[in-house]
Amino acid sequence: MNINLKIWRQKSDHQDGGLRSYRLENIDPNISFLEMLDILNIKLVKEKKDPVAFDHDCREGICGSCGFMINGRPHGPQKATTVCQLHMRAFNNEDNILLEPFRAEAFPVIKDLSVDRKAFDRIISSGGYVAVDTGDVLEANSIPVTKEDADEAFLSSACIGCGACVAACKNSSAMLFTAAKVSHLALLPQGEKEGKERVVNMVATMDEEGFGACTNTGACSAECPKEIGQTNIARLNREFIKSKI
Amino acid sequence: MSIIKLLTSSVGRKILMAITGLSLSLFMAFHLFGNLFLFVGEAAFNGYVEKLHKLGFLIRIAEFFLVLFVFSHAYSGILLWLKNRKAKKIISSYSKENTSGAAKYAAFTGSIVFIFLATHWSTFWYKFNFDMRGMSYYYVVTESSVGFGSPLVSIFYIIAIALLGYHLKHGIASAGQTLGIVGTKYEKTYNNIAAIFWFWIPLGFISIPVWFGFLVRVI
Repeated sequence: MNINLKIWRQKSDHQDGGLRSYRLENIDPNISFLEMLDILNIKLVKEKKDPVAFDHDCREGICGSCGFMINGRPHGPQKATTVCQLHMRAFNNEDNILLEPFRAEAFPVIKDLSVDRKAFDRIISSGGYVAVDTGDVLEANSIPVTKEDADEAFLSSACIGCGACVAACKNSSAMLFTAAKVSHLALLPQGEKEGKERVVNMVATMDEEGFGACTNTGACSAECPKEIGQTNIARLNREFIKSKI
Repeated sequence: MSIIKLLTSSVGRKILMAITGLSLSLFMAFHLFGNLFLFVGEAAFNGYVEKLHKLGFLIRIAEFFLVLFVFSHAYSGILLWLKNRKAKKIISSYSKENTSGAAKYAAFTGSIVFIFLATHWSTFWYKFNFDMRGMSYYYVVTESSVGFGSPLVSIFYIIAIALLGYHLKHGIASAGQTLGIVGTKYEKTYNNIAAIFWFWIPLGFISIPVWFGFLVRVI
């Protein structure tokens, strides 16, 4: 298949960027989207041109490194799929494909499609962990957790922190990410102890980092490659209110 | 964390918006209850307004809180809107297909509703309180030029209330999320009650100009 790419090229956050057009021919529809970009980059290097920078690591959809906007949607058109798990067969021959980085004030562009998502790490370091000493490994059932809570906590913990929620949000809000982290710990007895400080500190850091506020539009969950649900945000709000009562 | 710090965080501001918004919605139900006396007849409506007037001081206190709620709701909304604008970077291809219209235009519909409220206070509220000159309340609403005697007033009223309903469609659902009701066993009941507030109550308000402003003149 042949495709026409338009890719956002930007040398650094301080320099202006712009869209450049590239054409690739005879692309195997069964290769992944990132492999297609690898082919483009090999071509660019051979032509002694600057290759397109993009983030990736595991290419198995579990690390959260990859991600950019494909035709205006984070991780592209396929539901519940990271960009590394997207294949060229999701597109048609002679398609025009527009690639842009995940954009938000809190995500400065490093280069081209690669953005700095360290703001997420700083949200995590402000409370997304359990600091109380839980001692040695215990017998599995000594801390009872209901099946429902375990399942819910697991679904929340599936967040890979890729930043698609921020990119999907019209307000560049990091609520879904923060809520997933708060939720997954709030549902488990180990996390409960520090629940109050956790939610307050993580929300404060989220605000300081310059993310927008959630207006409950639900666009984040619709685009999330791990399908993190809106109930996480409601749970964060509940935890926040509870921390004050 | 102090209460000030709580209320100035993004989640805190939204909780404030949710509480003030829901309180104003409850007031709307009460307001509609009074308005529906128009359909009972002139004596019934005038009698109801007189009764409210007799409460005097209590009404002034209620009005103070209503205005305070309207302004704190709008103030928080504007601050969040500004924060969100700052957080955003323009993206040429950005798709909004996953954001509902009611959510996208909540700030816009809210602004129109605010303009409507300002005219509502400067006409009906002002007249009812200070400028009756012996007229019947019923007459002011149904026949006078500040009321539904003017087709322009009727049309603006209908549009503004329809937009208010649209505002509440997102607003009440959003408040349910902000107050953490979503995902609990109360979610279904809450959503059912929400439909009364964003659909049936605005429809009730709209029925008044539709009837007194237009239908009654044709039939």
